[in-house]
Amino acid sequence: MVHRSAEVAVAAIKQNFNLPELGIALLGAAMSLPCIMLDAQAETAPEKGTLSFKYLNYKERQQVTGQAGNSSGWTDSQSGASAYDDRVRVKATASSVLLPLNSDWSLSGTLVTDSVSGASPAYHTQALSGLKDFRRAMDTSLTRYLPNGKLALGLGYSGENDYISRAVSLLATQASEDKNTTWTAGVGFQRDLINPANQMVVGEKKRGADWLLGVTQVVSMNDIVQFNLGYYNGRGYFSDPYKIYDERPKRREHQTFQARWNHHFSELSGTSRLAYRYYTDTWGIRSHTLDTEWVQRLGSDWRITPQLRLYSQNAARFFVEVDPRIAPFPPSPLPNALHFSEDQRLSAFGAITLGLKVTRQLSLDTSMDVKVEQYGQKAAWKFTGAGSQGLAPFYARSIQVGFTHSF
Amino acid sequence: MCAKVLMLMSLLALQACSHIQPVAAWQKGNLALPEMTFDDDPLERGFKEHTYTSKEASSGGSSVGGGGCGCN
Repeated sequence: MVHRSAEVAVAAIKQNFNLPELGIALLGAAMSLPCIMLDAQAETAPEKGTLSFKYLNYKERQQVTGQAGNSSGWTDSQSGASAYDDRVRVKATASSVLLPLNSDWSLSGTLVTDSVSGASPAYHTQALSGLKDFRRAMDTSLTRYLPNGKLALGLGYSGENDYISRAVSLLATQASEDKNTTWTAGVGFQRDLINPANQMVVGEKKRGADWLLGVTQVVSMNDIVQFNLGYYNGRGYFSDPYKIYDERPKRREHQTFQARWNHHFSELSGTSRLAYRYYTDTWGIRSHTLDTEWVQRLGSDWRITPQLRLYSQNAARFFVEVDPRIAPFPPSPLPNALHFSEDQRLSAFGAITLGLKVTRQLSLDTSMDVKVEQYGQKAAWKFTGAGSQGLAPFYARSIQVGFTHSF
Repeated sequence: MCAKVLMLMSLLALQACSHIQPVAAWQKGNLALPEMTFDDDPLERGFKEHTYTSKEASSGGSSVGGGGCGCN
């Protein structure tokens, strides 16, 4: 659409003014650039507002029936593919609006609804118990644009029957004069209130603060890189009240290092997007996440994006492994143990995500996208070492449909 | 130990940044493509962070202020 209107304009100019060929080519190229480029150059509020909507349908499955191991040794999967059980299903919507108030200020807001149903294991990958919940989350952000940067104040709220979270954040960016280097600093505070339906605990609290320091650097006409350092410090109730034998430390700190690199291949009309994150925390968990995407443009209207994500973590130091002698029953924590958990999410495993996203530009201001994803989590997929034994592999698939319109 | 490694990696990254040829505004056509930005689909990022935070032990990395949830 952009290219077509630019061609018409250039043809009209050529007819009337007879400009040299080179000048016309340059003018055509300049007019074909998306208007977003203008926003990227000057730190002013976007000229247009944006309305976005996304629907998510997510479904998990896991082979939780029967024993996780057998007498001849551990198995990663049971025989008989029909034994998979549905676990959690989520139907979620997210709607957001970005409103430029004037050239110096913008306001944005997002509303998320999450309808969750299904079942979750009481320990390891055993003893499913049903759950049903509805979550509403909203956040709003007010941004002030400055000559070489911006300042954004954000407020967030998330509410479920048993869990309420409130958050506030401040994010500042400062760009160099040539806009090739951008520094980012952010801080956020959360306060959570936990009142589980089973009344295992009442009125528990969790407080946390997170900090972020980042730099984004334009390296060439086709390369941009970003480095982020993150730190989180939380105090309070981190246990899962719906699991048995779950007593986690009242304190958690984590540090993250993230590096991202986008490279555009002009001759292929494609872009590679690589991201790596290293995570470490005071519970003894370290993880590596590698996210890779290839964005392929087809004509001026289509973008096809295959995605591969690889993840690996070791177990929390208080994770209680499956005991093959008594499985499928839960092992008791050591008598003198202060902290213990049999939550699969704190075990040692690896995970692979395969995804495919298709984006269609419907007009200059409107686009639609569809994304399908398949996720798998297995002990054997841990990058190094064997992972936690005796847990059933976990799978999930998701479908997303999105719509964005500028006005 | 880990904090020191992180600091060192960041310093090396910064050092590398200081030797880069500046790119002029008129050369930034490709950099303005949505796929060349780091947050081209915030709603997708929201779903992604929420899902992985509830299925894996790690979280965070590129943003602050995300609200918590009792995701099981």
